[in-house]
Amino acid sequence: MMVLDLLLAIQREHDAALGFRFSCRVAMCGTCTLRLDGRSVLACQTPVPRDRDTVRLDPVAGLPVLRDLVVDTTAFWEEWARVTPYLVPRDDLTEPAVIRPDAKERQLIDPALDCIGCGACYSSCAVSAGSRDFIGPAALNRAMVLVADSRDAAGEERLAAVTGEGGVDRCHYVYGCSAQCPKGLDPAQAIRRLRRWRLRPRSSDDGR
Amino acid sequence: MTGVDVADVPVVDTDVLVVGSGGAGLMCVLHVKAAAPELDVTIVSKGAVGRSGCTRMVQGGFNAVLDPADSVDLHLRDTLDGGRFLNDQELAHTLVTDAPKVIHELETRVGCFFDRSEDGRIHQKAFAGQQFDRTVHRGDLTGIEIMGRLRDQMFRVLPNELEDVRALDLVTDVHGELVGLTALDARTGRALLVRARIVVVATGGAATMYRIAAPAKEKTGDGVAMCWRAGLPLRDMEMLQFHPTGLLAAESRMTGAVLEEGLRGAGAYLYNARGERYMERYDAARMERSTRDVVSRAGYSEIMAGRGTPTGGVLIDISHLGAGEVERRFPGMVARTRQIGQDLATGPVEVSPTAHFHMGGVLIDPDCHTEMRGLLVAGEDAGGTHGANRLGGNGVAESTVFGSRAGDTAAAEASSRGFGEPDPEQVAASFARAYAPLERDAGELPFPLTRELKDAMWVGCGVVRDRAGLEECLASLDELTERSAQVSVPGPAQVNYAWQEALDLENQLTVARTVVAAAQLREESRGAHYRADFPEQDDAAWSRYVVLRRAADGSVSSDTRPVEHTRLAP
Repeated sequence: MMVLDLLLAIQREHDAALGFRFSCRVAMCGTCTLRLDGRSVLACQTPVPRDRDTVRLDPVAGLPVLRDLVVDTTAFWEEWARVTPYLVPRDDLTEPAVIRPDAKERQLIDPALDCIGCGACYSSCAVSAGSRDFIGPAALNRAMVLVADSRDAAGEERLAAVTGEGGVDRCHYVYGCSAQCPKGLDPAQAIRRLRRWRLRPRSSDDGR
Repeated sequence: MTGVDVADVPVVDTDVLVVGSGGAGLMCVLHVKAAAPELDVTIVSKGAVGRSGCTRMVQGGFNAVLDPADSVDLHLRDTLDGGRFLNDQELAHTLVTDAPKVIHELETRVGCFFDRSEDGRIHQKAFAGQQFDRTVHRGDLTGIEIMGRLRDQMFRVLPNELEDVRALDLVTDVHGELVGLTALDARTGRALLVRARIVVVATGGAATMYRIAAPAKEKTGDGVAMCWRAGLPLRDMEMLQFHPTGLLAAESRMTGAVLEEGLRGAGAYLYNARGERYMERYDAARMERSTRDVVSRAGYSEIMAGRGTPTGGVLIDISHLGAGEVERRFPGMVARTRQIGQDLATGPVEVSPTAHFHMGGVLIDPDCHTEMRGLLVAGEDAGGTHGANRLGGNGVAESTVFGSRAGDTAAAEASSRGFGEPDPEQVAASFARAYAPLERDAGELPFPLTRELKDAMWVGCGVVRDRAGLEECLASLDELTERSAQVSVPGPAQVNYAWQEALDLENQLTVARTVVAAAQLREESRGAHYRADFPEQDDAAWSRYVVLRRAADGSVSSDTRPVEHTRLAP
């Protein structure tokens, strides 16, 4: 039984007014994030612990609670918006780019690509959840992907933005983000890369 | 009515109103903004924008002709063969013609990146029912890439996003001219009226009305139900696709999630509880690699005949390929089974057919026009593109192709329509209906009714149907409809999911009744619709599609129309 099943059972059988959010229930939508005994997890993918009678569920940290476990995610997406999160396509891009699957660019991007915007990293980052000025791990991971993408024309401006105020230097390397990402991404590594790329050209990067 | 005074309801005016924020809805927004940046666009989304609905959940991929050795004619033929020639051929033709353009757009403008072949060009994989390998994908998480990037694009074009807002009913002026719709802000519990020059409905299907079902929570047929109440004609409502291998995870909500078709393609076996490879009895030539409708029906028949597992499933087994090989080729599927204490890599896993996709829906033309001026419909809410059976990979293609076209149409036509005055009676009736569950002092909660609906549809109008079962199902729906009109939910109105469930239930029941009505009419078997009492496909009598319509007084009429073979004869 997953935590989501527990919540559904409570809603059906005990408290119809219990508030929690979910959609896909297979770790693709990223809307059922909560804290189980302090850990930020997806309710749909996290088994209910069997070794005790009670567990503690809290809403995601750092975001205003609308009701019970439902939060207002606006602040998370405002940070996302700060990195210019969309591709700014090069003008000459009319055909899908020819990029070999083993290209260095793809080795940087592919493992960082499947972010579902669940906010588990945000919730487990003391800097993000505790203040409003840090761009945060999810958005910085997105920025790293775009800076590495050869199809994008806005890399330098984006790099300057995320390495400036509220950017990568606010990270204290606690690694909560990478430890708690339910998709196994490594936002801390993305932040380290962005820091390096500020100092030397990406073409000389060894990918670590 | 006690809750809402129509005169006090806040009004939002917008040039183009898009209902739904999946693949169709967000592509529509992009296209409106590309063609006419000056237009004001508003998204109304019951769930999180870009993160609800089913485009997000697409695993397999997107069918598009990209290779010079392939052709759109071949893609059309595959689509019509798959649809058992019930398709609206102009819609199917539009799908296959536009799909390559949309893949180009997704790659070069939207920022998606699909998997590459060794030579660096887009990789296309094999899918069932296709004569060419044309399915574009990003691993087995294609939907995350498409919806993630579309959601990012919203930060560029900046539509007005009304998130957690449920569209209730289309409303017209007193002369029947579309004005906009009534809506409910689920966060505040407040009523809202949205007026628009053009309304685009793209909310997705209603397959969640079945006991075992694949889609996301939001997919309760809201758009189709809304159009039905407004008197628009629906076609092919009996055509509800079951995917043959949905996960069985007991009471867990994960039940019904799809184990991908590639498993059978790679050589998986299907067994019943007696250890028999039962496909021998249903399609000895193709066995497990037969088409979705045949394999679903076989599994269902085994389960219903008492040859299923104790929990009501059959078994899929691919462990003979070796654990390492299964883990390498199907990492997502292996993880999904381990999550529920089973292991696809080392042994059999329980599966069942699962309600997956609704081929039926609102009648549209290739530019997404409906009968009602100012109303466009795109994606799974529309009917006709897939006929009696949808090919894997044509679903996300449909959402994005027709979402784009709806956006183009809306941009071109918005200036030709103004803002009307809504008929106050319609507005009052809509809010009275919506607030009723909250205002009743006593009554059942909606949750057990939803469960009864799912059971009734599963047993009576599922993979295999017959006259007696459909009649019994309809009687159950009658009873549930009466009871649903008396449900009561506790307050407050803010962020109240029990209340939202009551409104979902009403829409599901509305759509369910049309599915049963159409299934009763079609006395033959074709594609996803199988009648045990009429097991053969009857082309002489049934090269026709069923159209249903609700009149203003609530009465339902039906007619059947001949399929026009404008592009290709069977």
